[in-house]
Amino acid sequence: MKRHFAMLAGVAAVCVPVCATAQDMKLPVMDNSVRFLVIGDAGTGDREQNQVAAQIVRWYNEFPFTFALMLGDNIYGNERPQDFTRKFERPYKRLLDAGVKFHAALGNHDDPNQRYYKPFNLDGKRYRTFKEGNVRFFILDSNYLDPEQVQWLEKELDDSESEWKIVYFHHPLYTTARRGPEVELREILEPLFVKHGVDVVFTGHEHIYERFKPQRGIHYFVVGGAAKLRRGDTRRGPLTAAAFDRDRSFMIVAIVENKMFFQVVSRGGAVVDEGIITNRETANATQAAVMPLVRSP
Amino acid sequence: MSRKRRGKGLALVAVVGVALASGTACKEGDTERSANPADTLFADFAKRVDSYITLREKLTDSIGDLDPTKSQEEIAARATALGNAIIAARPDAKQGDIFTPEVAAFVATLIGQEYKRRSAPVLETREDQQEELPDFEPQVNQIYPTTYPLATFPPALLPVLPPLPEEVEYRIVRDYLILRDIEANVILDYMPGAVPSGG
Repeated sequence: MKRHFAMLAGVAAVCVPVCATAQDMKLPVMDNSVRFLVIGDAGTGDREQNQVAAQIVRWYNEFPFTFALMLGDNIYGNERPQDFTRKFERPYKRLLDAGVKFHAALGNHDDPNQRYYKPFNLDGKRYRTFKEGNVRFFILDSNYLDPEQVQWLEKELDDSESEWKIVYFHHPLYTTARRGPEVELREILEPLFVKHGVDVVFTGHEHIYERFKPQRGIHYFVVGGAAKLRRGDTRRGPLTAAAFDRDRSFMIVAIVENKMFFQVVSRGGAVVDEGIITNRETANATQAAVMPLVRSP
Repeated sequence: MSRKRRGKGLALVAVVGVALASGTACKEGDTERSANPADTLFADFAKRVDSYITLREKLTDSIGDLDPTKSQEEIAARATALGNAIIAARPDAKQGDIFTPEVAAFVATLIGQEYKRRSAPVLETREDQQEELPDFEPQVNQIYPTTYPLATFPPALLPVLPPLPEEVEYRIVRDYLILRDIEANVILDYMPGAVPSGG
């Protein structure tokens, strides 16, 4: 099948890391905002991971997020103590030292024993939930979605009265990348998401960035390029809202009341996608559009 | 806790198993579930898994439980110690000890039936994901090679299989269904030819 390079209109060519100053940061930094970083498939320990991490720090200086979501494949290959240093603690040292709390989901390259590694904040569990401000986050283990986990998710979603419900895990329910979406997972999870009012889903696994037009009212993001890259792996389709597969990338998010502001940044510091999402309580499923992001005052 | 969970799950799976094996659900006569061979097979499987868990509990009593820690050294050391202890305590363990031939044959039937129920989009994407299946010959008492990822387990298959305690999980390697101790990363048993091609 013919592949298309997915290019965003107006995206600047990738510049070298040194040129970036995070001057395009447009997210609101307010006391009552929930501010976080999203990275996926990050744990290579290679030069690219470190370059992305350095870029993240530049943006952190302008946008001091307080926690980070890791979408799995946190540590590739060997998982010896020195690998945790090289593939996690060293690249994100500045953030860890500043008190940024990382909340990891498990990917297919991750030993489930990572749930005992305190800096990943899984509290010894394969799946868990936590709350930040008006947002409830649900972390799933999409490698092994057993009936107990599905039952747990349904109960937690049902119990949550948070203004925002965000679910994240490793395998994408929607993607145009080569390996394709996890349709089987989607058949099980999406009805629960719809029934219980999930607003946003973050996944990784595919080493690209993709955002989809809202599906049954849910905003789906694939943010799997924080170290690895499958260049040219996306195919623009009818569901595509934005895609970037020319370089590594990460995402920063601010949630203020019923609005979620986001920017996606390349390794070189270019903003490759951005927008504002309104939660389901204020935007019904058919009108759940993404609004343009303007610089906050 | 894990035993209680397994007991509850076993009843559910027995019902599912009966329905699947007979090809119909809720037929007259199915009320006599205890007389169904599926019940006996799964009870036998559960008993064998239980025996393993009993052995494991003895080993963890001496090694200690693992709580969340910042020390990856501690996590790795504990996994290695537990793995070595399990292997040493089961020197004669062999393929088929837990997945007996009778259980394996029935589980293979259940898996085959589940695969036939899959929708076309699921089958299509599953084929695309075949490249992710680990490619090695599993052995009993083998440490699962850390160079291979743990392939995603088909989520619709899990409710069909006999439930397991939280210490143990199923995984697929090539066309093998393996039983793996999660924390110790040890392969406890496997059944060859369990997974149809395209799975």
